[in-house]
Amino acid sequence: MTRIIVITSGKGGVGKTTTTANLGASLARLGKKVALIDADFGLRNLDLLLGLEQRIVYTAIDVLSGDCTIDKALVKDKRLPNLVLLPAAQNRSKDAINAEQMQSLVDQLAKKFDYVIIDCPAGIESGFRNAVIPAKEAIIVTTPEMSAVRDADRVIGLLEAENIDRISVIINRLRPEMIQLNQMISVEDILELLAIPLLGIVPDDQKIIISTNKGEPLVLEEKLSIPGLAFQNISRRLEGQDIPFLDFMAAHNSLLNRIRRRLLGPL
Amino acid sequence: MTSDNPIPPTVQIQLQSALDKLLLILPPSPKADLPNDWPILEHALKTFIKTKEGSWQPEIPVHLVVEGRLLDVRQLQAIAEILESVHLNLCWVQTTRRQTAIAAVTLGYSVDQSPPIPTLLIPDPPPPLAPPLYLTSPVRSGTEIRHPGNIILVGDVNPGGNLIANGDILIWGTLRGTAHAGAEGNQDAIIMILKLGASQLRIADLVARVSPEAADQGEPEVAYITADGIRLTSARSFKKIK
Repeated sequence: MTRIIVITSGKGGVGKTTTTANLGASLARLGKKVALIDADFGLRNLDLLLGLEQRIVYTAIDVLSGDCTIDKALVKDKRLPNLVLLPAAQNRSKDAINAEQMQSLVDQLAKKFDYVIIDCPAGIESGFRNAVIPAKEAIIVTTPEMSAVRDADRVIGLLEAENIDRISVIINRLRPEMIQLNQMISVEDILELLAIPLLGIVPDDQKIIISTNKGEPLVLEEKLSIPGLAFQNISRRLEGQDIPFLDFMAAHNSLLNRIRRRLLGPL
Repeated sequence: MTSDNPIPPTVQIQLQSALDKLLLILPPSPKADLPNDWPILEHALKTFIKTKEGSWQPEIPVHLVVEGRLLDVRQLQAIAEILESVHLNLCWVQTTRRQTAIAAVTLGYSVDQSPPIPTLLIPDPPPPLAPPLYLTSPVRSGTEIRHPGNIILVGDVNPGGNLIANGDILIWGTLRGTAHAGAEGNQDAIIMILKLGASQLRIADLVARVSPEAADQGEPEVAYITADGIRLTSARSFKKIK
């Protein structure tokens, strides 16, 4: 049974596309056949983060207008044979596609893949609706900021009304030092507000920016960084494995860090 | 007639304030082939008058408006007794039915035997308070829930969420959004909150802001209207104020 998951947030810039790229890559490394759909028509980014920008020949619009088959449009990743990307059009906008068309694309892909992951645009308008309607599950990405959490709550309300069965949350860009100083909303407070299960926590890390700029998903590194490990754990949890959450507060409180803080002040 | 029967929706008793009197308007009689509805009406009247207790000036005279309904001496006396139990005096009986008029005169009430009032002039009865709405999932941001009755929520109201009730609101959870009780103007409505967060409270036409400093006093709170506006008190103290 193909799992059709939408990665959404409401708020822009919280890490939906980064999550889609890394989760997709990680699941592919676990042996699953994964199709990623970029639903951000007009402001596409998923191809960039995967390093596949120059390999795009056809987009979803070409498939829908009959100019090519869906197989022709799917961009395959040389590094990951199990992973494909259906790119969005960059020269259009959100109204270039409607919900039925998105559903038909997903239906075609579902026949051949274990996972169809849809990268949802920011907002709650037509782009969001088109991305959400074909989905059976949703992963909400939020950062520990009141505005992001507020938007996430709104989106969860909208998703619950759409009969999406499984909704879980990934808390991205966590900064343990700010939580320690009570300058940032904690994981517990976020979960109390959103009242959905936690899928994973990804710490804020400069390596993420480097990886997105280079078009190399973190999970492909030989020696996984901490955010890379976090994404890998998330993909394993999606597969049903029981992986304990990395304790960033404890890592932050390691002896070395405590000594460093004492001597130099908070990071 | 069991006492746990709710008022049937078809029995619409009205109590209206006129300048110097109260009009107690009973619904028209059922058709002849239906069983006599007196026991239902009597029970409905008892329940109704209890819910309305306190909404009139003391010692105000009551005009009973019964139109074409047939009431005998015994029934009129029962109505008078029900009114007396809440310190109201039946003075006038307005009816188009001759036998009802005779019974009223027999008991010493003034009678107004007027022709039937055209139905267009009788205003719609105020809708009875609907049964309470019982919710068990959180009210998320952007969600608005309206109910013409009391609302009980087992869960939180998140920031950006809105609960609007014509009656009272009981939140068995945390209020971080907006709660509006007595939405149609009932100033006696209250909001009971298990855990109060930074939020906005509204009762009837008044609005109050709960700042982060005023929030979370560590115990359940009740919001109600006083002469000085909306006030909050701990649930323990609220009983004493009432």
